[in-house]
Amino acid sequence: MKKTVDLGVLYSQSGTYDAISRAVLRGTMAGIDAVNTSTDAQISFRPVLRDPEGRIDRYAPLCADILANSDARHVIGCVTSSARKEVIPILDRTNAMLWYNLPFEGFETSNRVIYSHACANQHLLPLLSWCFRNFGTTPYLVGSNYIWGWETCRVARMRTDEASGRVLGERYLPLGDEDIATLIAEIETLRPAFILNSLVGASSYAFLRAYAELGRRDPHFTADICPVVSCNLTEAELPQLGADAEGLVSVGPHFCPSPSPRGRDSSFEIISRQSVLTLAAMITAQGDQPFENFIASHGARFGIDPATHHSTLSVKVAQVRGGVFEVLHHWPDIAPDPYLTRPSRHPDVGHPKLSVVS
Amino acid sequence: MAGTLDIPNLDQARAVIVHPAPDHVAALMRQLNAIGLSVTHAWPDLPASAITADFIFYDTDMGHDAQFPWAPGTAPMPMIALVGTEAPGRIEWAARMGADALLLKPVGSSGAFSALLMARHSFELRRTLTSEIKQLRHRMSARQTVVQAVALLSAQGKSQDAAYDQLRQLAMAWRITVEEAATRIVENATDKGNLRDSN
Repeated sequence: MKKTVDLGVLYSQSGTYDAISRAVLRGTMAGIDAVNTSTDAQISFRPVLRDPEGRIDRYAPLCADILANSDARHVIGCVTSSARKEVIPILDRTNAMLWYNLPFEGFETSNRVIYSHACANQHLLPLLSWCFRNFGTTPYLVGSNYIWGWETCRVARMRTDEASGRVLGERYLPLGDEDIATLIAEIETLRPAFILNSLVGASSYAFLRAYAELGRRDPHFTADICPVVSCNLTEAELPQLGADAEGLVSVGPHFCPSPSPRGRDSSFEIISRQSVLTLAAMITAQGDQPFENFIASHGARFGIDPATHHSTLSVKVAQVRGGVFEVLHHWPDIAPDPYLTRPSRHPDVGHPKLSVVS
Repeated sequence: MAGTLDIPNLDQARAVIVHPAPDHVAALMRQLNAIGLSVTHAWPDLPASAITADFIFYDTDMGHDAQFPWAPGTAPMPMIALVGTEAPGRIEWAARMGADALLLKPVGSSGAFSALLMARHSFELRRTLTSEIKQLRHRMSARQTVVQAVALLSAQGKSQDAAYDQLRQLAMAWRITVEEAATRIVENATDKGNLRDSN
């Protein structure tokens, strides 16, 4: 007889970033199904679902609600860093854990969070290094107006300075804003070497549509000369973008080698599924000790670095070609460096660890 | 660079935590390990090897002057005060020891990174200012010597302006500061009574 364990799931099913949110939700539910139907697993999960509807003020109350009204000690959830920062005080008070399954800007290693996806040395730094090498050191930076956009652009600016380059422009749009005409006009005038896009959801789709349009008017603004690159574009958003996704460059631990028509099997989904499987294995092995002590002593066995609560990941730079991400560069096994204080963990083009995927 | 706070390379940087109860600062140690530092604990006294540490975290509740092998306020590395009680006397002591940043106890799972960056920034600023002040003081105290040197040079029939100009040119030729050149001229004149010998 399997022991049933409550598991909180805190993902929005609507709102501006719902394509991403649905991907992590799908992965989480797939993971729960896998555990529940496995004959080897000693536990099964009872999901306790809450939907914050993409509203930042709903995350903390709904997280508290999960923890107060069920036996859940673990919550799989949060898409934006702002939402994660909202729930951490609740987790601190209740000694519960959050499994965060999306790439983020780093500079945080809460004892109450497992960061399963990439931090900046596993996405932004290698992506920039690849762009500097292939397109030049005069980027244009655009992001959504919250911590992910700010911090991504700040690190990009710092790296550009270090590479003796120059940031030609830097703009932020409010979350959900689709008014991108000024942005496009500025890019057209400045003619950067590449564009780092940290916009999220509807703003990003509007921008990418308009940029594809600009490319049809002026061949400078096409993927071969001035690509749009991003740290968080995956298969999950390709259906929203359709043909306008062609040529976009992204970075991540995993890309699908074959077409995924409905945006399935992105790294968001795969990592969320894996988080649930890892959690099931850890709960089974944990015994009576508090979870944070168990991570400190045995986390590494489950792929979680006890010091940072992050994971060692593959880093791949890929470009959408014919509707599929084609991997152009691959660094295996990059250890996390959430504070960017360890240069030995910063992969770059020409680094000895480099391996080229043709 | 003005206005920017560069992220330092802290891989294997060394921090010493001076605190009576290592268990109470386990969360701080965890944070520092996550950032990449190697951490040792000391109480009550700092070992001699602490002099080469990159950062010192020190408890202000139980701390006292004699724990440190340097005079208050002269630590050769950034110092971060771990503040428990906010009694003014303790804050005053933290400041007198030369706190470059504060971290409030109990330490949770954040705060160490900003404290490290802030402390390093304040420490570098303080060190730059101290060295500038030292230079300025030296130049002020050398003013008398410069006046004497100009007087000696103008005794050869030059105007004061021309004498000062000559002093500057000598300093340039000898690749030393104007103050040092003045000292050399005055010493030569005093020793030998003959300015020409110095050339």
